[in-house]
Amino acid sequence: MSEPTKKNDRRDFLIKLGTGAGVCALGIQGLASARSLMPNVSYDAPTTVKLGPPAEFPDGLKFLADERLFIFRDGNTFHAVSAVCTHLGCTVRAEALPRPETATVGGAPLKLTHKFICPCHGSQYAGDGTNISGPAPKPLSWYRLSVAGDDGQLVVDLADEVDRDFRLTV
Amino acid sequence: MTMTPTPAPHPEAPGVRPRRFWSVTPRSDRDAGDAITSNFMLHAFPAKVSKASMAWSYSFWLGTITAALFLLLTLSGLPLMFLYVPSVERAYQSVKDIEYVITFGSWIRAVHRIAAHAMVVAVVLHLARVFFTGAYKNGIARGQHREWNWVIGVVMLLLTLFLSFTGYLLPWDQLAFWAVTVGTNIASAIPWVGAQVRELLIGGREIEQATLIRFYALHIIVLPGALGGLFAYHMWRVRKDGGLARADREEITEVARQVSPSPTKTYTLLGVTTGTAPTVTARSLEAPNTTVNAVPDLTRRAMIATLGTFAVISILAVFIASPLEEPANALITPNPAKAPWYFLWLQEIVTDTTIHMGSFTINGAFIGGVILPGVLIGLLTVWPWLDRSPSAVTGEWFPRARRTQNLVFILVMVAILLLTYVGMEMRGPYWQIYWPWETWPSMPGRI
Amino acid sequence: MEQRTNSPYPRIDRPMLAIIGVFLVLSCVLFFASDRDHDWRYYQAAFKGEVATQFGQERAAQVTTGIQQIWVADLGRADRCITCHQAVSWKGFENAEEPFRTHPLEPLKAHPIEKFGCTSCHGGQGWAVDVIEAHGEVAHWEEPLLSRALGEDYSLSGNKGALIQMNCNICHRYDRETKGADAINLAKRLVDEKGCRACHVINNRGGRIGPDLTRVGEKAPEQYDYSRLSGQKTAFAWHVAHFKNPKEVSTDSTMPVFGFNTEQAQALAMLVLSWRPADVPAAYLAGAPRTDVPTPEQAAEELRMRTGPGKWFVETGCATCHSIQVYGVKAPAQIGPDLSNAVEDVQSRFGRTIDDFLREPTGTMSVVLSRQIILTPEQKAIAIQKLREAFAVYQKQQAEKER
Repeated sequence: MSEPTKKNDRRDFLIKLGTGAGVCALGIQGLASARSLMPNVSYDAPTTVKLGPPAEFPDGLKFLADERLFIFRDGNTFHAVSAVCTHLGCTVRAEALPRPETATVGGAPLKLTHKFICPCHGSQYAGDGTNISGPAPKPLSWYRLSVAGDDGQLVVDLADEVDRDFRLTV
Repeated sequence: MTMTPTPAPHPEAPGVRPRRFWSVTPRSDRDAGDAITSNFMLHAFPAKVSKASMAWSYSFWLGTITAALFLLLTLSGLPLMFLYVPSVERAYQSVKDIEYVITFGSWIRAVHRIAAHAMVVAVVLHLARVFFTGAYKNGIARGQHREWNWVIGVVMLLLTLFLSFTGYLLPWDQLAFWAVTVGTNIASAIPWVGAQVRELLIGGREIEQATLIRFYALHIIVLPGALGGLFAYHMWRVRKDGGLARADREEITEVARQVSPSPTKTYTLLGVTTGTAPTVTARSLEAPNTTVNAVPDLTRRAMIATLGTFAVISILAVFIASPLEEPANALITPNPAKAPWYFLWLQEIVTDTTIHMGSFTINGAFIGGVILPGVLIGLLTVWPWLDRSPSAVTGEWFPRARRTQNLVFILVMVAILLLTYVGMEMRGPYWQIYWPWETWPSMPGRI
Repeated sequence: MEQRTNSPYPRIDRPMLAIIGVFLVLSCVLFFASDRDHDWRYYQAAFKGEVATQFGQERAAQVTTGIQQIWVADLGRADRCITCHQAVSWKGFENAEEPFRTHPLEPLKAHPIEKFGCTSCHGGQGWAVDVIEAHGEVAHWEEPLLSRALGEDYSLSGNKGALIQMNCNICHRYDRETKGADAINLAKRLVDEKGCRACHVINNRGGRIGPDLTRVGEKAPEQYDYSRLSGQKTAFAWHVAHFKNPKEVSTDSTMPVFGFNTEQAQALAMLVLSWRPADVPAAYLAGAPRTDVPTPEQAAEELRMRTGPGKWFVETGCATCHSIQVYGVKAPAQIGPDLSNAVEDVQSRFGRTIDDFLREPTGTMSVVLSRQIILTPEQKAIAIQKLREAFAVYQKQQAEKER
């Protein structure tokens, strides 16, 4: 009585295993179909843009019109502030401060040489992008800067906003 | 006996006892019947099925295989619908993307393509099986109309071919473009309305963006919807006609036999008795010996057919790559330009019936493309009414009474297969005949 | 007590279902494996190793992984070459083995990769992510990678990497000279010197004896007749053979043998294959001329010939092949003899008068006068009269010379 039962148990187990595996396999095939809908390549405009070698950036401010970006340099430290006004998207203008100030921004010191004024509706921003007056609801964004691995150019990632403590030291 | 707790009976359906997570282990015949009737998907099945209908060797489960292929095509078509772009500028590129940069893209496309070709084959085999077994004939029961099921089946065959044809164009490569050119040119040979039919199909006079979007819409929604609807009717009709024709045959040929009286059944006074104990002469398909519960036996077999089909196609798709030729170019006709393989026999007939006699030309497209297939489809459709064999031979493989018609059917099938073979393997550049031992001239493909 | 009908089916069906389940699992394993089996993964891993060896681990960590794509919407090209050729803008791999070699900087200054992609210059199949497919060496892809290897395969004499110049010329076709495209420049000079325009329309101008060559590069490889070609059956080989001996490849041709050597014939073949329409936005062609522009000297010369004493011959088209030295008319190609002394020349060559010859010409002239330049009887009379006038001037000239 025990022998046939043991064989049947094992048989039963294997059959259940096989059938269960089949059901799982169907699920995996379904997941594979879902995975196929996650794109591997992007047809969007690239968000990481090469800006040129760090040497080409002067101390102080450089405005890049195509990317609508201000690149600030202080010695070997870089940071990038967006020139897109947070009100309705105009490109803000940078106005040099009469005297450069040093403030603590994001917990680290930062040399502020300019403030920003938007020509469209008069929003004003401080040197670190904080909105001081006018209709602008939010401060100017800061974007991540890095150095490209291949040719050493400065690279900005316009899809990666960072906090005010971001500094890139080259 | 297992002691799993059963949920409370459904108040709306007295006597029906549904189980949590419908299981395939009914504890009694009644449980088995409940499982069918309380399940939306399985309503198409009866509670019990005759063993004879279940046999692999009767129907080879070709209908189920065809339906499984249709399901596989729908499932594999879903991601493809998102990934393919039906625009003449982007179609080719989107198919290249599916092949190269979409994860599992080339496999999904191969599954879809192989399943499509397999479905055409399965549909034809299913049609042949139904014909050979005379399953379009009615049995002895009342109210049977298997002939209409046959007609629906023929319509579904045509829909399948049309589905395959519309899908063929979508990659927008040379193969697709010129296959559709050949196909629609044959359609234009229909008398009186041929040119309009062609313009309706193409959406204009040239095969262009209008054609592509038209074929795409047909392919992903109109034709599958129609096929799905007809499939539902097809299954309903089978139930209404009392199951497969084989069951009718069993009924007709079954000989009354002695059965010991079942302890739970009550019998009327018409129970015939001989001897000292009550005996019953049973002649019914309800008898326990000749039927099984649809759950689990029919459903399990249906699973085997379906999942088996999925497994075979999935594995084949890893090894058989899908072709993609040069981008479609209306100015360069490939040499030779061929219709898809299931229409090659038509193209071959068109070639063979185009005869130039001096300045007079017999229009092969009309004879081979319109008359001949029209006659064949017409005969096929009305055959149940032309068939003079007795209803006793329904559900039997190659009965003597239907010998002639089965023979003719086989001959026609063989002829079609031969013509398809000639069209595929023996027609080379400039549509010249090349015997199997002759090599085709190489058509160079590089600047 | 309710019964459960006995059924023989579970005994076989259940194991069958289990086996099918195993096959389904097998199919998953197979398609997962086939999806991972692409060349680019191997090359990316190898490159990471190279960078680690040369520059250290931190730089190696910056190497991008996954399929990389340059999508140039204006040209409709999605080039994935940089998935394997990751060193394209890395300084320091200038002498490495392909696919890890840095791209030369000079061509990229005017043709940045983000604006042009890779395949618009190099050819090949940008969609693909496996080596052989990406290099276009598969059936149904008609544009192979225009590499040094292909140049070897096509037995180029001279610079084996010259084939890429074919793609330069697709956009630069109206340049007189393109920097870096020496074979194309040679071919363009030959076209000028040999007067191909006499019989062929080239860049929208020219004669109609031979076929219009403005879009000849578009012709598909299968549209050529290779029956009389020995050796490779490619469009390139056809053109080279045709330039060397037109009648051998194309039996009804009246094109003369120009005596090109292999280098010249190959350069001309490259030029001819590059004549295809370039569907590029105007911004791409900034700086490149859009039509053939004659030099000021050529323009002045042409004006002089059109308004001088020989202007009838220029208007009628005779001056395409024949110079008339006495009137200062210089043909772009010296295909036919000078017409100044045609009166006596025709007589001595054919033993016929020019009246007779123009009525029933032989040889090339019979082709020209029946296809290209159709003269009415009045025009023929004018032609004869003008030839006699020219001859008179010629005789006077000869007399003065002898004095």
